[in-house]
Amino acid sequence: MTRTVEHVVCPTCGCLCDDLVVEVDGTRVTQARRACPNGRTFFKSYDPTPRLPRVHGREVEWNEAIAEAARMLTQARSPLIYGLSSTATEAQRCAVELADRLGAILDTTSSLCHGPAVLAMQSVGLPGCTLGEIRSNADLVIFWGCNPAVSHPRHFARYSLPPANRRSRVAVVVDVRPTATSDIADLFLQVEPGSDLEILTALRALVHARPLSARAIGGVPLANWEDLAGRMKSCRMGVVFAGVGLTMSQGRDLNLGELFSLVAELNDCTRFAAMPMRGHGNVAGADQVLTWQSGYPFAVNYGRGFPRYGPGEFSAVDVLAHGEADAALIIASDPLAHLPSSSAVHLREIPVVAIDPRESLTTRIAQVVLPTACYGLDAAGTYYRMDGVPIRLRPVISSARPTDEQALQQLLDSVVRVSAGAVPTC
Amino acid sequence: MSATVLQARANLTLPVEADSITPDRIDGLQQVAVGNLPILYGREWAPLGDLFAVSGDGRADLVLEGDLTHVKRIGQGMTRGTIAIHGNAGLHLGSQMRGGEITVDSNVGGWAGAHMAGGRLRIYGDAGPMLGSAYPGERRGMTGGVILVEGSAAARVGERMRRGLIAVGGSTGDFPGARMIAGSLFVFGQLGPRAGAGMKRGSIVSLGSLASGVLPTFQYSCRFAPGFLQLYLRYLLRWGMPVTPAHLQGQYQRYTGDINTLGKGEILIYDQH
Repeated sequence: MTRTVEHVVCPTCGCLCDDLVVEVDGTRVTQARRACPNGRTFFKSYDPTPRLPRVHGREVEWNEAIAEAARMLTQARSPLIYGLSSTATEAQRCAVELADRLGAILDTTSSLCHGPAVLAMQSVGLPGCTLGEIRSNADLVIFWGCNPAVSHPRHFARYSLPPANRRSRVAVVVDVRPTATSDIADLFLQVEPGSDLEILTALRALVHARPLSARAIGGVPLANWEDLAGRMKSCRMGVVFAGVGLTMSQGRDLNLGELFSLVAELNDCTRFAAMPMRGHGNVAGADQVLTWQSGYPFAVNYGRGFPRYGPGEFSAVDVLAHGEADAALIIASDPLAHLPSSSAVHLREIPVVAIDPRESLTTRIAQVVLPTACYGLDAAGTYYRMDGVPIRLRPVISSARPTDEQALQQLLDSVVRVSAGAVPTC
Repeated sequence: MSATVLQARANLTLPVEADSITPDRIDGLQQVAVGNLPILYGREWAPLGDLFAVSGDGRADLVLEGDLTHVKRIGQGMTRGTIAIHGNAGLHLGSQMRGGEITVDSNVGGWAGAHMAGGRLRIYGDAGPMLGSAYPGERRGMTGGVILVEGSAAARVGERMRRGLIAVGGSTGDFPGARMIAGSLFVFGQLGPRAGAGMKRGSIVSLGSLASGVLPTFQYSCRFAPGFLQLYLRYLLRWGMPVTPAHLQGQYQRYTGDINTLGKGEILIYDQH
């Protein structure tokens, strides 16, 4: 029998669209209306059939897998906990407690995507706003180094360029190549790769009417930047969505620092905001939870018994590339698929515990795999939207799988027992 | 024996935090006490003697031998004495040091000399990123002392430095002297792109070539032979840096910026014509 669930939240990307209508037949989602292609795939491909955990490829009972995972992590001298961007804040909170108990290094996928934006935020501040404010008030929308037409397909319709307001707002795209987003833009500025900082510093100077001698910046004539600076100053409300084109190119946090400084200065003459275009569903929540629990947003080391911050030192990419972890707990992430090969190679060589609702490259090489429920499908939890607004996810189907939070809590309890000298019970 | 010798017992691959290896901590200790100093090996404290063979009682002069690529924070906060490292050294070498001297035969990791306030750090190999710079969230990097690198330095040398001198015999990576508040940065090889981004004051001196032009927020000022440079260059020559007579007598193009901040910084480019 088919039933319909309304107002479902899609946890696929940072948009967290909360207007989906989902049709459920038994334990499978058969339709996800209003969802983008990414969301449809997420809802329709999920198989909630209970699966047994695996230890060294062998299916075992849940408690045995937890005990083996606890043994591996407590025996490690330098354990790494990584991932957390596609799980709920409740599980993230548990992961922080586990890292504290283990003295582990804790990092999220933030360090790989928008970590530089967080560093810039800490350095110069972030003049932000909510997506609702952008939907209602913005008349100048700039997409810099991002391609939401592909990565966040409903971003335009729901937040940045809603059809009802489309004629009254100007869309500008700054990117190194034409994209699906630049196709719908009113103004496209194709810049040379790696020239973002030059352009942003020049825009800051132009906004303040400071003289520049260069004729072209980033491969674009100065007149175009003067035009953009004029639009930025004269708009009613403007916003810049910053993508990984800024955070992953040369300059990284310096690029974002210049952008946030530019936006802050624009607020002297109009209303302007900047917003990192967060990718994973709850990567913004991971920053929030780590910050309220440890004081730092990512790349935290508990080795000394207290949290220490070390982007570039305690980031998973660096820790793994330098061979400085001897065990890893991967939560709701697939680092083997997206880390640089130098880091992925080391991950293959150390004991790995993977907590994930789905099979991935990482679960295939993990010594212990704990299959859990999926937030937004068969588990309830809280996610943070890219603008920092928390949204509650409700389950649309029922399942017998434990949640990430429950798995981590059991792992934590087992670690406490092992640390206290008790023999792990199977 | 005039120096305390610490020989790494094996190739260390997991991270070791050895901030207890400073002349301040070791000088005056007996050999056993030196071996009992705590160091963090991964997430567990271990006696220094477990990872290093200690020769001699504690002195103000230390010699470290072996590959110390994963040994971090050597000489952190030291105020006196010397440390000679025969091999590579890990991250944060000599960070927050206020006096004394560290010499390294080979390469060092990132953040060497970060927040350094005094003393001298001499690297005969290459330096990692963030040499003499500030830690995330800090307003000021190096505030005094001298860092000499014979090889090259990676990105963001001297970021947010407030005072002191950094000289690099080879090339630098991106953003040398970014957000510099004051101080002096000399580069004898290729000066990396986007030098001085966001700098307020201070001098970046390029004695070799430029990876790219200066940022648009720097303005050409003049071509001249700055008198103070001779003083610096003579010191650097004495310290073994590759200063030539032409550097001493040559003309320099001066660019000022970054106009988005205070705009009192300068990039001096040796004019080879």
